[in-house]
Amino acid sequence: MEAELREKAKELLGSGEIGVVIGFGWNKRKTRTTPVFITKAEDTDKLVFNAYCVNNLSVYLTRKYPDVKAMGKAAIVAKGCDIKNLAVMIAEGQFKRDDTYIIGMTCSGVGYKQELIEANGGELKPEIMPVKCHNCDVRNPHISDAVIGETTDFTPPEEPVGMVFDKIKQIEAMDAKGRFGFWEEHFSRCIKCYACRQVCSLCYCDRCITDKNTPQWIDSSAHARGNFSWNLVRAMHLTGRCTFCGECERACPVNIPLNVINKKMAVVMEDAFDHRSGYDPEVHPPMIVFDIENDKEEFIK
Amino acid sequence: MIKTLFKKDALAGLIEAVRKDGGEFVAPTLVARQASYKAVTDAAAIETDYIVPQNSFKEVLFPQSEAIATFKEAGTNMAGVEVNAKDTVVFGSRPCDAASVASLRSVFTWDFVDEFYTTREDKAVVISIACTKGDSSCFCTSVGLAPDATEGSDVLLRETEDGDFSAEAVTDKGKTFVKKHKDVFTTCKAAKEIAIFEPVKLDKVDLDKVGESLADTTHYDNDKMWGDIARKCIGCGACTYSCPTCHCFDIVDEGSFFEGERRKNWDACQFDFFTLHASGHNPRDTQYKRWRNRFMCKFKIYPGKFKTKGCVGCGRCVRVCPVRLDITEVMEELS
Repeated sequence: MEAELREKAKELLGSGEIGVVIGFGWNKRKTRTTPVFITKAEDTDKLVFNAYCVNNLSVYLTRKYPDVKAMGKAAIVAKGCDIKNLAVMIAEGQFKRDDTYIIGMTCSGVGYKQELIEANGGELKPEIMPVKCHNCDVRNPHISDAVIGETTDFTPPEEPVGMVFDKIKQIEAMDAKGRFGFWEEHFSRCIKCYACRQVCSLCYCDRCITDKNTPQWIDSSAHARGNFSWNLVRAMHLTGRCTFCGECERACPVNIPLNVINKKMAVVMEDAFDHRSGYDPEVHPPMIVFDIENDKEEFIK
Repeated sequence: MIKTLFKKDALAGLIEAVRKDGGEFVAPTLVARQASYKAVTDAAAIETDYIVPQNSFKEVLFPQSEAIATFKEAGTNMAGVEVNAKDTVVFGSRPCDAASVASLRSVFTWDFVDEFYTTREDKAVVISIACTKGDSSCFCTSVGLAPDATEGSDVLLRETEDGDFSAEAVTDKGKTFVKKHKDVFTTCKAAKEIAIFEPVKLDKVDLDKVGESLADTTHYDNDKMWGDIARKCIGCGACTYSCPTCHCFDIVDEGSFFEGERRKNWDACQFDFFTLHASGHNPRDTQYKRWRNRFMCKFKIYPGKFKTKGCVGCGRCVRVCPVRLDITEVMEELS
């Protein structure tokens, strides 16, 4: 699979069509993978693909990275889950489909965190895979210019399984006070490092609402009020857009269960608007659409 | 061998004694599956199986967010806030974290004495435990420290084979503390000490050479070099906020026109608005320049001003980085 990937990258860079291949490479000690930006055909041997490749590299295609943009047309190494983010970015007009070459990787799952794979002797096992992998319906890339790897016949369970879904049920069974208490406990840990926002390719605003200080919409202090407003605002801004790639939870240094809140919002959106994010670059997220003709609600007409 | 011994069973008594005097006992305890320094009231809550806690204990001395003044009536009626500092014992610190106390002090007593910091630090006793294990991200030996370094600790404990600790009072503060709690620190025969974990010394790293490489400021214009090193940096503050020596803060006013408080909050040089001028100009306009700044701060700017360490090698920034931008790789590269 890696040989095939490197060959493809070499071909793309050699043709002059592509300026940079955004992919995964080993760190110096070969214990972790890390994003790499390959610009020369002779460097394509640095590209790797394995269960350590947890990152969603689509973040580098946002407008936050003018220096990546300056490298020319990008080819991106993307798993199915990463492609979902690309689809939303295209739907939201962040770039055109033709502006990016998608090297879709067939995938048999990655680790929840790279440390866990190392602790398991470099092997992947179901227990250390994130919930998204167990329920993945895009192990064969759904949008791509080239597919690398053998087609898999993995079919996800009909009813999604995993801790995130169990937790959602648990929280739903609580009363309002219990739910507030649950999130209060978790958000109280927030250190406002904004790793959740920075690692997210759908948090691409030039100026995040939390950085706006005339007026200061969201308290920048990491106290209860500030933490609640930040985490809830982010959840609302991702509603109908989040693809459940899980990068925010993975990046969170204090283990706030962000997957739970984001997945809950996704379930709400599916129920209310029959919308699943990240499958079709032609479909706009419901919260940015004003469509009186097709609205299910009577009161709006 | 006869030594000052700290029996693990004595922990409960020590917590009680400290708390009875109105003090606070901070130790690693499990928070969301990670050992973290937090105030504890019960010895059973203390986690013993950890390499370094997820947070550094700088938040005890330099809280993430604190009120420093209050105002009423549109800023005309301002009042300072008294430092709310308790006698605090930080137990189970690692020698790397302990060494960072001196680093923070250098900054907070440099051109202005920040009483919010100094009052807290003066009232804190740091009891470290020498490391008997570590991971591949630990690199204290590459920055001139050691897993059993005494620097910054008031008392250093070394684990013995029967689970107790032999204790070494390092500072006067530590000696006074040991004397005060003599029913806890006993003098008796100690079992053999457990071997200290030695992180792999990155033999390619030479901090003097790193400093020299950075001293020639032409590298500021070398966008290719810094771009290649830090293009992947996503600009979050995970490294700076978990770093025991990062010390930047921001002052914000919160509340309404009529009433509110002025707060001192942690800030991070990795954020894109950190250096944004009112004019709209941003001298560090790309992410790799911001990452360069953090690296410069640790290994050039800070050592140029102070004798204390800019980096203590705890490895937190390596562990938490969502894109695995490994500071030790850059140290090797610039050596």
